[in-house]
Amino acid sequence: MNGPEILFYIPLFGGLPVTETLVNSWIVMAFLIVLSLWLTHDMKKQHISKKQAVVETVVRMLYQLVGDTMGEDRLYFTPYIGTLFLFTLCANLMGLLTFRSPTADLNTTAAFAIIFFGLVQVFSIKANGLKNRIKGFAEPVPVVLPLNIVGEFSTPIALALRLFGNMASGIVVTSLLYQALTWVSNLVFGSITSFPVFAVGLPAVLSIYFDLFTGCMQAFIISMLTMVFVSMAMD
Amino acid sequence: MSHLFLSLGNQPFISLDWQVVAQLLNTLILFLILKKILFVKVKEFIDARQTEVDKMYADADTAMAEAERLKNVYSESIAGARDEAQRIVTDARRSAQDQADAILAEARAEAAVLREKAEADIVSEKKKAVNEIKDEISDIAILIAEKVVEKEITPADHEKLIAQFIDRVGE
Repeated sequence: MNGPEILFYIPLFGGLPVTETLVNSWIVMAFLIVLSLWLTHDMKKQHISKKQAVVETVVRMLYQLVGDTMGEDRLYFTPYIGTLFLFTLCANLMGLLTFRSPTADLNTTAAFAIIFFGLVQVFSIKANGLKNRIKGFAEPVPVVLPLNIVGEFSTPIALALRLFGNMASGIVVTSLLYQALTWVSNLVFGSITSFPVFAVGLPAVLSIYFDLFTGCMQAFIISMLTMVFVSMAMD
Repeated sequence: MSHLFLSLGNQPFISLDWQVVAQLLNTLILFLILKKILFVKVKEFIDARQTEVDKMYADADTAMAEAERLKNVYSESIAGARDEAQRIVTDARRSAQDQADAILAEARAEAAVLREKAEADIVSEKKKAVNEIKDEISDIAILIAEKVVEKEITPADHEKLIAQFIDRVGE
């Protein structure tokens, strides 16, 4: 199974490989920025246009989701959670357009996990103080100290691997299916044509599940888990 | 993307390289940009409108309460005015009645005075007429007597005769 294709090297530090992951991320970023600019460029207070209604609804829903999950006093997390959600969602759905999802690369999901880890540390210490934070590791009994420390790291690792695993497995399963269908096609129609007849149609149905359903689901899950764990760390 | 670039091979399926840092920066940059141009902007917009709507509702409530208050004031004053009008009409009617009664009484009194005066006049006229008749009769009597006695009678006899005659006539 191939990883993301290397598209070019940045001639620094002996050549930094730039893969599809990074380029596709830039495409997603550009898409989201242009979309935001376009949707918000002439907002009115009355007689709003359809695109303004859409952008207002989306932003309000994200604020509402954060308010419901983290509490009304932590609405200031919405810009990051919203960015994470929209970025992940678009990256995941890229698979539908034959792009390789940036989220199917551990580099991307690990970056999310690092930010998550940073958020947990910073806001936990901010909310409870460094002393209480350190003390919290030895609660309820000091014996669990190692477990708590491991847990502190296992959460972001799980977060990164969950998203990566889900998105990468879509690629793996789809490519396995293509290979299997090509093999069956060759077996049946091999003497007539080399065209993989069975590979038409079925992978599209499966793609709906792996790219559309899993894509939306995982974008929601990583946003949800980030909110829940940051919120828990602050309590 | 592969068709756009010359293939330089693939990264391993699971790998962590410098792109973690690149993706970290990408995410943070996207976060900062979207925060500014999408989330904060739209949220401020929604909040501003919400504030405006809340203010409009509050203003509408105030205006409605004011209208209600004014309506009560007006209906009270209208009711007052109606009572006042009723009172004025009643007063006017009563005063007109009083005036009419007074005029009637005055007229009655005047009529009574006039009648009394007329009665008195009648009495005095009657007396006067009687006296005139007395004088007439006395003259006639004298003439008759002169014719009868064919002689002068003294004024004393004259007076005596008249008195006797009148007394007889008056009976």
